[in-house]
Amino acid sequence: MNSVYIYQDTFLHLLNLIVYLIEHKIKPFQIKNTSYTGTLLDQVVTLDIPEKEEILSRIIETIGIRAFHTTYYVFLSDVENKELILYYFYLNGLKYKTNILNYRYLKCVDKVIKISQMVRNECHKYKGFVRFKELQNHILYAEIEPSSDCLRLLSNHFQKRLKNEYWIIKDVKRNILSLYDKKKYILVDADTLSFEVIASEEEKTIGELWKTFYKTIGIRERRNERCRMNFMPKKYWKYMLEVEEER
Amino acid sequence: MDLKEKLTILADSAKYDASCSSSGSTRKSEKGMGATAFSGICHSFASDGRCISLLKILMTNICIFDCKYCLNRKSNTVKRALFTPEEVCEITLNFYRRNYIEGLFLSSGIIKSPDYTMELLLKTVILLRKKYHFGGYIHCKAIPGASERYLKELGKYVDRLSANVELSTENGLKLLAPNKKSKNVENIMHYVKENRNKKFVPAGQSTQMIIGATKESDYEIMNKSASMYQNYQLKRVFYSAYIGVNHDKLLPSLKEPPLKRENRLYQADWLLRYYHFKVSDLLSTKNPNFNILVDPKCDYALHHLEEYPKEVNTCSYLELLKVPGIGVTSAKRIIASRKVFTLTFEDLKKMGVVLKRAKYFITCNHQYLLNPSLCKKEFIEANLVLEEKKPIKKEYEQLRLFHE
Repeated sequence: MNSVYIYQDTFLHLLNLIVYLIEHKIKPFQIKNTSYTGTLLDQVVTLDIPEKEEILSRIIETIGIRAFHTTYYVFLSDVENKELILYYFYLNGLKYKTNILNYRYLKCVDKVIKISQMVRNECHKYKGFVRFKELQNHILYAEIEPSSDCLRLLSNHFQKRLKNEYWIIKDVKRNILSLYDKKKYILVDADTLSFEVIASEEEKTIGELWKTFYKTIGIRERRNERCRMNFMPKKYWKYMLEVEEER
Repeated sequence: MDLKEKLTILADSAKYDASCSSSGSTRKSEKGMGATAFSGICHSFASDGRCISLLKILMTNICIFDCKYCLNRKSNTVKRALFTPEEVCEITLNFYRRNYIEGLFLSSGIIKSPDYTMELLLKTVILLRKKYHFGGYIHCKAIPGASERYLKELGKYVDRLSANVELSTENGLKLLAPNKKSKNVENIMHYVKENRNKKFVPAGQSTQMIIGATKESDYEIMNKSASMYQNYQLKRVFYSAYIGVNHDKLLPSLKEPPLKRENRLYQADWLLRYYHFKVSDLLSTKNPNFNILVDPKCDYALHHLEEYPKEVNTCSYLELLKVPGIGVTSAKRIIASRKVFTLTFEDLKKMGVVLKRAKYFITCNHQYLLNPSLCKKEFIEANLVLEEKKPIKKEYEQLRLFHE
């Protein structure tokens, strides 16, 4: 039977499970979160492992803070078997310690670096491409559909930047809202809060100004569609008003 | 005239300025809205593939100067507009709130006098920072010829302050921009360099040169850049391919802007700033222009084949940087990784080395990837040129993730 180990959806619990597996010399076939349904060949194992925070400092001490951050980004990705990749990464981390990221020839290291770059890149792009609109009650509202789970990272960013505003960011794909009340933000299930998305009166005028600016600023003689697509792939276009007419 | 029409006129006039970077500053507003990101953030990309990070506008396109290449020269009959400082604030704040932009890039034609123009710019910037407590990025153009007291004031509020040299030689300026004096521009650069600190122009200064409007060679242009990097600690020099907007017998008649040449200059500029190249490594009076067919680093390597191959497992960091296909990031990765294991070509690929170019110039454990007899000048040249003929993806980009 293929043993599939289940963790309780948080990064911290995943770390606790991985450390437990390593310490007990268990080699998992897969590690999955609670939404995993399993197949006939699987033996789904849910271990009763407490979520201990002390484990963080142990891991950071072993592989270093940089490698640890890198693994957090991997956790945020939507890569199918990211948990297993992380398991092998931490396992090798015991051996290669703070040098682990330099062992590029190890498959798990290579993957961890590449996936984390992908996530960082997407998150960075979203910092620029998120578009807020003002609702009638002056709350700013934006929708995103990122591949990786970057809502928390984005919220950290906008909390500093738009700190005097009420804002809501909705991850449409995961159905989660980030709500900010000028002091802090919280993430909630989108079904727990219903509100109407009606733009304020000013919204249309400002949006028009922005679209005018966007159209004007491109230099006709230098038109370069390929270059634009490279930096701003279509997957980001859905909520960007300036490319509305080209979508 | 309504705000939309003004914005159209004054963004249209500002679009030829290449700079749009929003990096190099870590500002935070205590009371109001806005912060800057050290690495800069691009908020959109225009139809020409250039990044849009800042609201790039002119205060006015009214101008008392008559620079031949400029759309807004005095002698042109174009529609003129003038923003009020409050209008600029209104657009900036509204755009920023919705995350359309990272901040403001404010430039201007010269209305009445340089001092009068600077007064307007200063007023706008002070409004943004003091009345609205705006903490976003501000890049402001300094007007050559204005009194020093304006620089002193402006520098306190903006992240970047810059002046464009436009043409790399005094003769070029005399010919095409008779009202402009390079001394005035250099005075600004000198002042900013001398006074720059965490609270005064924290993101430093940049400048721009027009490429192909006059007969300057790449050698002259690169020497000018190198001297400015050295003398004024510029963060960036931008190169802007000349686009003919006016008819004038003094101007060249180009069918298309010299984009490829502009690209080569940017590549060489990078080599100067991050790859420890000198202008004399790349160009000379005998060979004053870049090869349009291959990039400057490949060109260098082809002319110095005796320096290659480099053994990646032992050569120095600087030597790695001289290899076509190896960039700053991959060179650093190589240095870090080879301490713990011996690298193979497969590993290099994983680290982001472009083997298509690098393979002719490196060995791994004293082995070429190819048959060594193929690593001869003619063969390499032919293959590298073929390589370039394929469409290049990341051309005329504005670098963003790179810390300046």
